[in-house]
Amino acid sequence: METARRLSRYLDPKLLASFSSLEVRARSVVEGFVSGLHKSPFKGFNVEFAEYRQYTPGDPIKDIDWKLYGRTDKYYIKEHEEETNLSGYLVIDTSGSMSYKGDGLLSKLDYAATLGASLAYLMLRQQDSVGLVTFADGVRRILPPKSGMQHLKAICRELEATRPDEKTNIADSLDRVAEAMRKRGLLVIFSDLMDNAELVIAKARQLRSRRHEVLIFHVLDRHELTFPFEDVTLFEDLEDHTQVTADAFMLRREYLRRVQQLVSTYQSALRKSGIDYLLTDTSRLLEASLRSFFTRRQAVGTRIA
Amino acid sequence: MPFSFGHPWFLTALASVGIPLYLHLYYRKTPVKRDFPSLRLIRLSNQTLLNRSRLKNLILLMMRIFMILLLTFALARPFLSFGGNLSVGNGAPSAFVIVLDNSMSMGATHHGISLFNAAKARAIEILERMGPNDKASIILLNDPGTVLFPQLTWDKVDLKESIRNAGLTAAGTNLYGAMLPAIKMLMPIRSYKRSVYVISDVTKNSWKPFLDAYDLKRVDSGLDLVLVPVGGETAPPNLAITELSLRTPVVLKGRSVPVQATVVNFGSHLQKTVLSIFIDGDKKLEIPVELQPGEHRRVIASCTFAAEGVSHVRANLPADALVFDDSRHLAVKVLAPQKILILRPPPDEQGRDTPDDLYLRFALNPLNRREQTSFIIERRSPEEAVNVPLTPFTAVLLVNGRRLPPELVKSLGSYVMGGGNLLIIAGSRTDPNWYNTNLIDNMGSGYLLPARIVKRLGNAVSKMTAYQLTDFDVGHPSFRLFTNEENGDPGRAHIFEFFQVEPNPRALVLAKLSHGLPAIVEEPRGQGRVVLITFPLDVSWSDWPLKPTFLPFLHQTLFGLISRGGLPADSYLPGSPISMMLREEGLKKVTLTLPDGHLRDMPIRHEGPGLITVSTTDTDQAGFYQLVCEWSDHIWKQGFAVNPPAEESDMERMPTSEIPRFITLKQRPGIGEKLGEKVTLVREGREVGVPLLWALFILAFSEFLFANRPSSRAVKP
Repeated sequence: METARRLSRYLDPKLLASFSSLEVRARSVVEGFVSGLHKSPFKGFNVEFAEYRQYTPGDPIKDIDWKLYGRTDKYYIKEHEEETNLSGYLVIDTSGSMSYKGDGLLSKLDYAATLGASLAYLMLRQQDSVGLVTFADGVRRILPPKSGMQHLKAICRELEATRPDEKTNIADSLDRVAEAMRKRGLLVIFSDLMDNAELVIAKARQLRSRRHEVLIFHVLDRHELTFPFEDVTLFEDLEDHTQVTADAFMLRREYLRRVQQLVSTYQSALRKSGIDYLLTDTSRLLEASLRSFFTRRQAVGTRIA
Repeated sequence: MPFSFGHPWFLTALASVGIPLYLHLYYRKTPVKRDFPSLRLIRLSNQTLLNRSRLKNLILLMMRIFMILLLTFALARPFLSFGGNLSVGNGAPSAFVIVLDNSMSMGATHHGISLFNAAKARAIEILERMGPNDKASIILLNDPGTVLFPQLTWDKVDLKESIRNAGLTAAGTNLYGAMLPAIKMLMPIRSYKRSVYVISDVTKNSWKPFLDAYDLKRVDSGLDLVLVPVGGETAPPNLAITELSLRTPVVLKGRSVPVQATVVNFGSHLQKTVLSIFIDGDKKLEIPVELQPGEHRRVIASCTFAAEGVSHVRANLPADALVFDDSRHLAVKVLAPQKILILRPPPDEQGRDTPDDLYLRFALNPLNRREQTSFIIERRSPEEAVNVPLTPFTAVLLVNGRRLPPELVKSLGSYVMGGGNLLIIAGSRTDPNWYNTNLIDNMGSGYLLPARIVKRLGNAVSKMTAYQLTDFDVGHPSFRLFTNEENGDPGRAHIFEFFQVEPNPRALVLAKLSHGLPAIVEEPRGQGRVVLITFPLDVSWSDWPLKPTFLPFLHQTLFGLISRGGLPADSYLPGSPISMMLREEGLKKVTLTLPDGHLRDMPIRHEGPGLITVSTTDTDQAGFYQLVCEWSDHIWKQGFAVNPPAEESDMERMPTSEIPRFITLKQRPGIGEKLGEKVTLVREGREVGVPLLWALFILAFSEFLFANRPSSRAVKP
């Protein structure tokens, strides 16, 4: 734990300790086998036979070996068991808009990086391999997935070195990520999704169709969610630095309606495609966000297993 | 409803309306600069809101301006004025006139209370609100209108006493006669709050003609016209006798005459009733009548009058909502057969009687009877007539006379001035010069001839040119009959020769000849009348005596002359002046007996040599009036009837909404504000400062809510 504290400012030992008993379970992508705690989701379809066991009521009927039944006149279940390690990518948006820091302690990028590092640590501790992709107008940097706690240092170093800049182009960036991922794996995306929503959803669906497990953290500042401004304000875009003058008080209702609409669009479209979507408010405690994530993942894992 | 203000100087604060205008239109805040992750959503939202915010800003601007207006008005202590008394301050005294309707229709009852008593109570209630500096007058709304106080008075006690003593009349409603004096009385008083309060049952018959003819909008806007209606919005059912008349101009003793009564149902249901006819107090007839709603039924009863003199005919219905019109009266002058004196032309050279008056005698009394006839004829030559007293004759017919003895001329002058009728029929013997000299020039103001005779025109021998009678005076009794075409056309007669005449200024031309010259001329002289016919009434110069219109013309002319003696038979309206010219010689006194039995000595006024005039306006009561004239040698009785105007019986209400300019103060006993309070409101206005402050408070709250509409909730992660 002490070692981890030194690794980076993004690893909050207190925070990570609170999740030390949790298991990060991938839902669908496990290729390869490394002894660990993850059970293969391909159980029953894999080539490697494990054992027969007598059928008990409640077992799936599709798993019954009918040939054996023909020979023995008894029901047996043919089990294939395989434990594998998880290969995951943390995909973090480092565009200009992620530099926004409302009245909280962390900018959106800081918050996303902290979350990512926390997840990386947990996965590495379980012998899973983790990679890192940073992107803005395009992919800026890719660290291939590796296992072992030493890799955590590299990830954190890279995150610390990254400065938010440029516009957001999520679609192209995801294309690049897809090309880089040779095996199916877990893709955790941290972004404020300030791009064309339809394009983002389409690209996420493409990834999902390639059997990747996709998980999106939609990182937004408290100000973006509540728009607490009241005065006539000259707003300046952090990405292209254009300006708009508007009466914030008058604008609030319509702005919030549009934010609500955007979030609903992502939520419904992504969840329909089997993509996990989590709206993350940077003013929330990191613990709370991680707890939400794990609670959701556990629920999903139970359903699939 | 305009405003007046208790503290008008506060209105200068209205200039502060410019503040929100300046802030909204010109003042722009310096925007606060702020970084934001992405302006994509802000741009989209801003575009949507741009138009909406303009509308909101406009509404807010209006609300804020209105708030300032409300605050300013509230501080200026506004009084909502129901009337037009804006030019004078709130503390100014009042000058007002109460116009109290005391016409016959106010005699009806509503919920068991007489409308007139209710109106008097309302008038007292208005007077109760009279302040010590206020002044008022009272005008009664009966026809022709009675101004009880010609000058405005401060004496409230006197005013109230006058209201209490005011009496209901059987007269009609004369809005002109009351409103115009009221308005004139108040017009010059500019420093007072001026009002005219009209307390009336607002019958359509009386109000509509007034409103049609008089533009109330021209009345000074500073003068409040206030209407206090009484008697409910619907008229009570009412049966009335609206007419009682004779269908013949002359009533002769013992001869049956038709009496016509018109009964009207002014209600909305079928009514059955009994019409009774009384003659001199004795019931003579009872006629059952059934009337549909709104029906006017003429009932004709045949009556016979046994005695000469003046008789009182009364038609009566059982009493209903309005008792005044359930009786109607008629004064009937019953005459004996009328004596006519014909001054025939002298016999011809052989001493034979001339046929000049043959057609006249045959038309008036063909069988020369003394009884059962309308006319008794006596024929005298002018010389014989000198010694004959003319007074017993109803009319004297001078037929084709050349000259008359001076004594007869003098006798005829006295006869006509005293009420006799002279019919001069020109003919071949008529000497224009003698007539003009002796019947006009030499008689001074007592002349007899209604027109100066100029010359003979036409030729009755050759009969080359025939003239016709035309331009009849159909209002005159002589020709009234011929307005009905069934009675013939006197214009079909041919006149071949006649005298050209020049009528006197006061003379009436009753008929002309077809080329426009006068044919028949009449002039009232003293109490009598003289008629000049410019051609003879035989067949020498015309063929009229052979035409069917001749006899009716002659009878109608004589009946007309007879019936015009004394008072006309038509009934009078209540309050109408009655006057009559009498011969002074030997007259001792004239007494009027009122319908209620009271006697009045009539004041006498000298009118001219030998003539006096008696007159009275004491005719407020409906009924039969008897006039007794006592001379030293005889007593002469006359009678006349006073009846309410028929239109007063129709009590249909005029909707007050159709009466312009008037402020209507309706009041039901025990409900809502009292009349006095309403009067004060009209006079002083209602202070609306507090309601305005409440409105300001509500508006400010609304503005706060509108300007600070809560935004939608934040998006929950």
